Amino acid sequence: MQTLPDWLNPEPWLNTCVTAADVEQALGAESPDESTLAALLAPAAADFLEPMAARAQALTRRHFGRTIQLYVPLYLSSWCSGGCAYCGFASDRQTDRHALEFDAVEKELSAIKAMGFEEVLLLTGERSAEADLDYLRECVRLVALRFHNVAIEVFPMAEEEYRSLAEAGCTGVTLYQETYHPETYDRMHRWGPKKDFVQRLDAPSRALAGGLRFAGLGALLGLADPRYDMLALYRHVRHLQKTHWQAGLTVSFPRIRHEAGGFVPPHPVDEKMLAQIIFAFRICLPDVPLVLSTREGAAFRDGMAGIGVNKMSIASKTTVGGYGSAGSKEGQFDVSDDRGLDEFCAMLRAKQLEPVFKNWDGVYRLT
Amino acid sequence: MLKLGNVEFRSRLILGTGKFSDTETMLKAIEASGTELVTVALRRFNREKPGDDLCAPLAKLKNVRLMPNTSGAMNAKEAVRAAQLGRELSGSPFVKVEIHPNPHHLMPDAIETWLAAKELAADGFIVLPYIPADPVLAKKLEDVGCAAVMPLGAAIGSGGGLSMAEMIRLIIRDSNIPVIVDAGLRAPSEAARAMEMGCDAVLVNSAIAAAKDPVAMARAFALGVETGYAARQAGLMPKSDVAVATSPLTSFLKQDGSV
Repeated sequence: MQTLPDWLNPEPWLNTCVTAADVEQALGAESPDESTLAALLAPAAADFLEPMAARAQALTRRHFGRTIQLYVPLYLSSWCSGGCAYCGFASDRQTDRHALEFDAVEKELSAIKAMGFEEVLLLTGERSAEADLDYLRECVRLVALRFHNVAIEVFPMAEEEYRSLAEAGCTGVTLYQETYHPETYDRMHRWGPKKDFVQRLDAPSRALAGGLRFAGLGALLGLADPRYDMLALYRHVRHLQKTHWQAGLTVSFPRIRHEAGGFVPPHPVDEKMLAQIIFAFRICLPDVPLVLSTREGAAFRDGMAGIGVNKMSIASKTTVGGYGSAGSKEGQFDVSDDRGLDEFCAMLRAKQLEPVFKNWDGVYRLT
Repeated sequence: MLKLGNVEFRSRLILGTGKFSDTETMLKAIEASGTELVTVALRRFNREKPGDDLCAPLAKLKNVRLMPNTSGAMNAKEAVRAAQLGRELSGSPFVKVEIHPNPHHLMPDAIETWLAAKELAADGFIVLPYIPADPVLAKKLEDVGCAAVMPLGAAIGSGGGLSMAEMIRLIIRDSNIPVIVDAGLRAPSEAARAMEMGCDAVLVNSAIAAAKDPVAMARAFALGVETGYAARQAGLMPKSDVAVATSPLTSFLKQDGSV
């Protein structure tokens, strides 16, 4: 058993019994902390969704205004050496695998650029011969030539590797721990380098030390007790805020439902619980951008936009080569919100929210 | 008249342009505020996608000057480069130096701000630095050629009001350049209070953009600034805690002038 860092264990806050009075107190907390979060995540807080939403909306508006920042994912490769029990791209799944050639990457980027996006998130599976560091660095370089913001959601790396990507123009890393519960983590990750819990846990820290500016954290909701995972996730954010004070952190709330391979999540999270989690995070981390992807359906996303969530993807293809070039048909997961960009932006505007494509400038990347 | 560099302004209200629900509302709020100077983040310049670009619609406004800001810069070097690019794209000599290396609380970095301001002032910019409410830093920025200093009233977007009032008072007392309260204001009454204290102008963004009716709130801030400035000019009556009808504490002093 690996030695876990001291900041991780959220057990003490799970053992307290939360009453309605505790929830009311948490809603009025002047300096919200993890006991506030524990109260707002508790079953007792499920009766307070409306006041939680109101508080979350006020805080979101205060810190981010009436705007929603947009980004788009680009799947580079479906090759994977990992054995994640829940993933459609795991190495034991029978799926048509592809990695985009560089000219195909260019085609994808042209299609994405034409839509107007300025923040691109590059995705691969676990490290493979088809999509290794050199491949990724070249892809980053191609994106950085044409887009202001380039983030990666790939395999964990060493600090020097992250530094080489930062030098190629990479600005951010998204890396979900999947679950912060070590035993569940071990069961879900059946083989491959991803079995190393601590190596993954420390990866965002290494990325920031290596010169990336933004780090996106999250846990895959459904794998373990969501209250445990969300408290640990909060601790991870607070830990990084203290150790990397200049880092721009974001938090995502990916919810696992039905992936390819027929995986059934042992701790399913319903929409009400997901909303409760997002409101609770907004209240406890008022100035951290909260992200919601197209894993969620249109009605839920429309409702959450501006109420807690301030950053979203849209027009996403989770297949390799989905935007312009020919590629695979099977995606990592099914997109639940398959609206086009224009339709989505029209929805935002109708809710008096401005879609923001560019919220950073490549001029800050050259140092 | 408010004088920044060699430019004179009738309005003493400066507007930020982020956080609005749409460009049209932003433009209407600017018009309602009567402002003649707006700041816009370089990171929100987008020449490639007109609908996402804040610069072009602002550049079209008559009687309103643009002041690009360096929000997003983590240090002086990045801020200088952003300022130069902002000047090139907007044609404006104004720059709001804004360096907040922590992207969450957005507190300005005094050291990097001073370094950038010095370099940009020497390069001919009209430099307005966004700073912590620090009277010593304010003087040091004046010394390197800033056109004004912009201490924060409270944290950006916090609506904390003039929580730094005592420090701002010291800055105003000793400053030879305009003092502009930037960030933290929530209500027009706070803008009025800042002007009564002797501020030369205020810069407002969130309080207008996040109001229920941004356009009406922009007008309300214009009135608040005007009221506070007029009150300052009129001279506020001195404040005293005690009535002073008689002088019981000094009645023992010889009243006839003898020594």
